[in-house]
Amino acid sequence: MKLFSGRRAFVLQRLSALVLLAYFTAGALRLALGPPVTYVQWQTWSAQPLAAAALLVLVAALLGHVWVGIRDVVLDYVHSPGLRLAVLGAAAAGLAFLASWTVLILVAHVNSA
Amino acid sequence: MRFRVFRFDPDGHARPVMQDFDVRLEASDRMVLDALVRLKEQDDSITFRRSCREGVCGSDAMNINGRNALACITPLEGIKQPVTLAPLPGFPVIRDLVVDMTQFFAHYHSIKPYVVNDEPPPERERLQSPEEREKLNGLYECILCAACSSFCPPYWWNPDKFIGPAGLLQAQRFIADSRDRATAERLEFLDDVFKLYRCRTIMNCTEVCPKGLSPARAIEHIKIALLRDSA
Repeated sequence: MKLFSGRRAFVLQRLSALVLLAYFTAGALRLALGPPVTYVQWQTWSAQPLAAAALLVLVAALLGHVWVGIRDVVLDYVHSPGLRLAVLGAAAAGLAFLASWTVLILVAHVNSA
Repeated sequence: MRFRVFRFDPDGHARPVMQDFDVRLEASDRMVLDALVRLKEQDDSITFRRSCREGVCGSDAMNINGRNALACITPLEGIKQPVTLAPLPGFPVIRDLVVDMTQFFAHYHSIKPYVVNDEPPPERERLQSPEEREKLNGLYECILCAACSSFCPPYWWNPDKFIGPAGLLQAQRFIADSRDRATAERLEFLDDVFKLYRCRTIMNCTEVCPKGLSPARAIEHIKIALLRDSA
């Protein structure tokens, strides 16, 4: 597969959309049909390793989806190669920071339980 | 009938303007192109392309009341006045309603719009089954009028890199052709972040195609073929 094939991003965008759809549908159904969730219950649930892993998958799908979206907008509108590289680099750094921060929060949360 | 026409004279070095005209129509004038021909009798400086005047050659594609169409098959009956005529959006204007289609045809040529088959030719012809021939329907009818590409926002954003709906529909026409032997090379060429994947499925192309074709669907078929190719 070529470095700038576009196929990889196309697949990532659709797969991440499916993951997000599944998570948000499940979340909406839980909120609509189940009993109200208290903060303590949410804390307890999300501190379980499996739940934390599930949340990590959700955030990964979200950030992957965001990356493809930002990348598409930049490729469409930013035509100077240097500026394009800079904007894409800044976006990638920002998303990598968010991903790392999420991992740190989840690991600390699971360890504190 | 009232018309408002985009005017640009490259020799005048002036900014483009919209000029109003009252056109006296005859009873036989049915289409926008008929009115344009009448208009040219009144003001012979007005410039536009036309040839077959029956929706086959694609020469007179233009923006009519904000929507790309062929002037020769756009009826005057019931049309909103003043009828605003502008050149195809996103294309460099040469003069009045005439645009420069060099880039458009460069993209078209880039997809190798011909059957590639190095196998020895049979005695008479390369036959297709009815099912194989059926796959070309909705693809081969394209007349390259550029109504679709010029109404496609991603084509406005990257006209030099994105092949555009017309070129991609033509690419699919040869990918789908059972007589062609260059499918792998064609897919390899199209597998590019700019050439193919700038398409956002906005579907303006399908909306305005005067032949009722769906370039958006053709583009999806190329993407599916690429996915199958990588599987």
